[in-house]
Amino acid sequence: MFNKMLNHLEEGLITFLIAAATLVIFLAVAHRYLSGVPYIQDYTVKLHVSWAQELCIFMFVWMAKFGAAYGVRTGIHVGVDVVVRKLTGKPQKLLILFGLLSGALFTGIVATLGANFVWHIAQTDQVSADLEVPMWWVYLCVPLGSSLMSFRFLQVAWSYAHTGELPHHDHGHVEGLDDVAPLAVTSAEPQNGARR
Amino acid sequence: MNTLIIFVLLITLMLTGMPISISLGLTVLTFLFTMTDVPIQSVALKLFTGIEKFEIMAIPFFILAGNFLTHGGVAKRMIRFASSLIGHWHGGLGLAGVMACALFAAVSGSSPATVVAIGSVILPAMVAQGFPKNFGAGVITTSGALGILIPPSIAMVMYSVSTNVSVGAMFIAGVVPGIALASLLGLTTWYIARKNDYPRLARATWSARWLAFKESVWGLMLVVIVMGGIYSGIFTPTEAAAMAAVYAFVVTVFVYKDMPLRRIPKVLLDSASMSAMLLYIITNAVLFSFLMTSENIPQAMADWMIAQGFGPIAFLLVVNILLLLAGNVMEPSSIILIMAPILFPVAIKLGIDPIHFGILMVVNMEVGMCHPPVGLNLYVASGITKMGISELTVAVWPWLLTMLAFLGVVTYWPALSLWLPHLLMK
Repeated sequence: MFNKMLNHLEEGLITFLIAAATLVIFLAVAHRYLSGVPYIQDYTVKLHVSWAQELCIFMFVWMAKFGAAYGVRTGIHVGVDVVVRKLTGKPQKLLILFGLLSGALFTGIVATLGANFVWHIAQTDQVSADLEVPMWWVYLCVPLGSSLMSFRFLQVAWSYAHTGELPHHDHGHVEGLDDVAPLAVTSAEPQNGARR
Repeated sequence: MNTLIIFVLLITLMLTGMPISISLGLTVLTFLFTMTDVPIQSVALKLFTGIEKFEIMAIPFFILAGNFLTHGGVAKRMIRFASSLIGHWHGGLGLAGVMACALFAAVSGSSPATVVAIGSVILPAMVAQGFPKNFGAGVITTSGALGILIPPSIAMVMYSVSTNVSVGAMFIAGVVPGIALASLLGLTTWYIARKNDYPRLARATWSARWLAFKESVWGLMLVVIVMGGIYSGIFTPTEAAAMAAVYAFVVTVFVYKDMPLRRIPKVLLDSASMSAMLLYIITNAVLFSFLMTSENIPQAMADWMIAQGFGPIAFLLVVNILLLLAGNVMEPSSIILIMAPILFPVAIKLGIDPIHFGILMVVNMEVGMCHPPVGLNLYVASGITKMGISELTVAVWPWLLTMLAFLGVVTYWPALSLWLPHLLMK
């Protein structure tokens, strides 16, 4: 139950962030060029969008941290698998578990370092350059994202130890082609045939 | 000594099969905890500031734009346009496939995506026309690699991020080598097809060509927006990427109507998770290159090479071999992010142009994508054609040799990469 909620939250957050960041930059650029147009100009000069770039960076940094955690769950993080694929049975299982636990260890350390760092920043009144939000709000994504990632590594390791199944992301698969491709082929063939 | 420890540690961790980003990060942490007194606080700061560069943000936007356009229709229209133009020459659909890959590469920054988008449409059609399966597979697997040479290219953004070379300059520099490689691959296709007398298409009429062009022009406009925008100074590369993402969305959903609105969240989620994976590697690679610089490794290597009497020619040969070897075990973005910060200072000291060096790295990555064991294009193509990897490895040989020859040309003829950027940017 808790896990399901976490999954939805994670997916919702990164989907929202990439869409919002795109929109923000689009609007900022549109604003820059509309400012040169008479009539519209009168409305746009009142708005300032100098913060757009900073907001976009912050959103993508957050997206990167939580997206990386989501990536552990879907197995998108690539590694060098020449040795792992040569091995079989117990050695292979142990090596994979070692990899997953190292992931959990690293992200755990980063989360701790990050939490410590954020705690120190929060004592100061450091704010960001354009948006003027407290910096520790921005940096909070590191402890949060990394602990989630560490949790995901443990989760994957646990389920691998019990079921022997790993999440696997097929990098060759492009979403959406499966249902389009057959249609495309049938429509391409008669056309080519007719032209011959 | 420290250098040796760092690299042995990194390679050992990588060989356990853990994600490359994690092995980079763990190497840095282990080294810092045990062997130096660089304050851990400065590492923590790097973890935050590592990806706070606006240039890096072009990566998610280009991935998003590419994902929108990969959804079906655009590739099909480009194939139709290409085959109406050159389908009547020797090689027919195969030759059209090379051109379609080049066109699609101009809207997508990724090689495997190009192979999937073009290959899944054109390969079945080629088999139906009587081409041998391995011919089609060879053409598309190698031509798909144009995806990272013809701008926009994610690999080039990665290079720019790790060396501070201008993204715009890299993109412009990719144009001429991209077209040259596409022509060479086309020539190889043409020659093999002529020798074996493979089927050709009937010559299309000019009105059919015009119609096919009009159909595909919406997709092709994307590269005009990106390159035109960057070159004329209307957009920064990152803004151009964001514009491309919005444009690709509008074209796919409203102009071509290839995608219902309800599928959009899924595209966004996939793009976000792919970008996050790359950004995570970048974060850790930044950490790693921070360690490298603080240990003075690139400088020491440069001095050593110069002391050994290595000239640019010998150095570039070594770089090529090193990158081709790395291409055997790692995927391109990681190679660029790890190798560029190490090799770049050496290259600069030897007087090699930064842009030329970048193009050389990208072409090396292309070769790596087309041969086993980790050539991603091979796996993608094997998924589409249902051919085994070893069978495909044989099938790609003629084109792979062409590519290797081209790599030699790019390495020792800098003007090929530098002519256009020098012409336009000075």
